[in-house]
Amino acid sequence: MADFSWDVRSPLDRALVAGAYGAQGDAGVSLTEIRNFDLVQVMARRGKAGEMAKAAKARFGIAAPETRKAVGTSDATLIWSGPDQFLVLSKGGKHGIDALAPVFTGSASLSDQSHARVLISVSGEKARAMLAKVSSIDLHPDVFGVGAAAATSMDHTSVTLWRNNDRDGQAVFNLLVFGTFAESLWHTILDSAAEYGVTISHSEELA
Amino acid sequence: MRIVCPFCGERELGEFTYLGDAKPQRPAADAGEDAVYDYVYLRDNIAGVMSEHWYHGGGCRAWLKVTRNTLTHEISAVEPAAGAGAAKVGA
Ligand SMILES: [Zn+2]
Repeated sequence: MADFSWDVRSPLDRALVAGAYGAQGDAGVSLTEIRNFDLVQVMARRGKAGEMAKAAKARFGIAAPETRKAVGTSDATLIWSGPDQFLVLSKGGKHGIDALAPVFTGSASLSDQSHARVLISVSGEKARAMLAKVSSIDLHPDVFGVGAAAATSMDHTSVTLWRNNDRDGQAVFNLLVFGTFAESLWHTILDSAAEYGVTISHSEELA
Repeated sequence: MRIVCPFCGERELGEFTYLGDAKPQRPAADAGEDAVYDYVYLRDNIAGVMSEHWYHGGGCRAWLKVTRNTLTHEISAVEPAAGAGAAKVGA
């Protein structure tokens, strides 16, 4: 049998070109792809939502979101992704699928999405203006504050979107997209952001 | 047209997929061929208020039961379909 060597590589490896893009001058939009994270989908088994919630509380010290919210602990973010389900985003294996499997035995089904999704962080003065072109949901701070989350579509592509803590007084939007759709959505986002000027980078920090 | 998903809130039509009439019930195993034929193939073409299944595939991926007037597109009720969101609908 042939030996394979698996290089872990972002689906945006080719598409992402770090540096400036679009209009010159002060960039209105920052796009950062966050790489090498652990992501686990947790879905309650039929009739076991209560048990799943209890297990999550015991594990993370906070209640997993039951509505459209993302909540953070010191080393994990729990993001609502639909009824009786949420995503666990973390780094370094502490809350990876092997660590979480025994926690949710009998109450939830787990699915490792670590290498199945791409995580893009969108910030900058024009972040919301840019996202408004590709999203049909209202991202105004009055309705989409820090910690708000949504399962929605952008450019006909399913995404999980949530608002992170502000950085330098400005909103930060994180979005998770299926790996195979990431390049397509990336180009759509670049087209949408070009008029504001874009700073492109990638990072290993979840922040 | 917009649908107010009980889990996600108001969303544009593009996030949803239409399945069809929510009324037909799977007949019992011994109900006979006519009943199965009716269940699988025969549909009423309702002009007015209808109960329909919609799928929020571009959002929370829940199946919904939507009460819609096919003449006006007015939606009078949206609820989770049986099995969607175990906590809300029960077993
Ligand atoms: Zn929904």
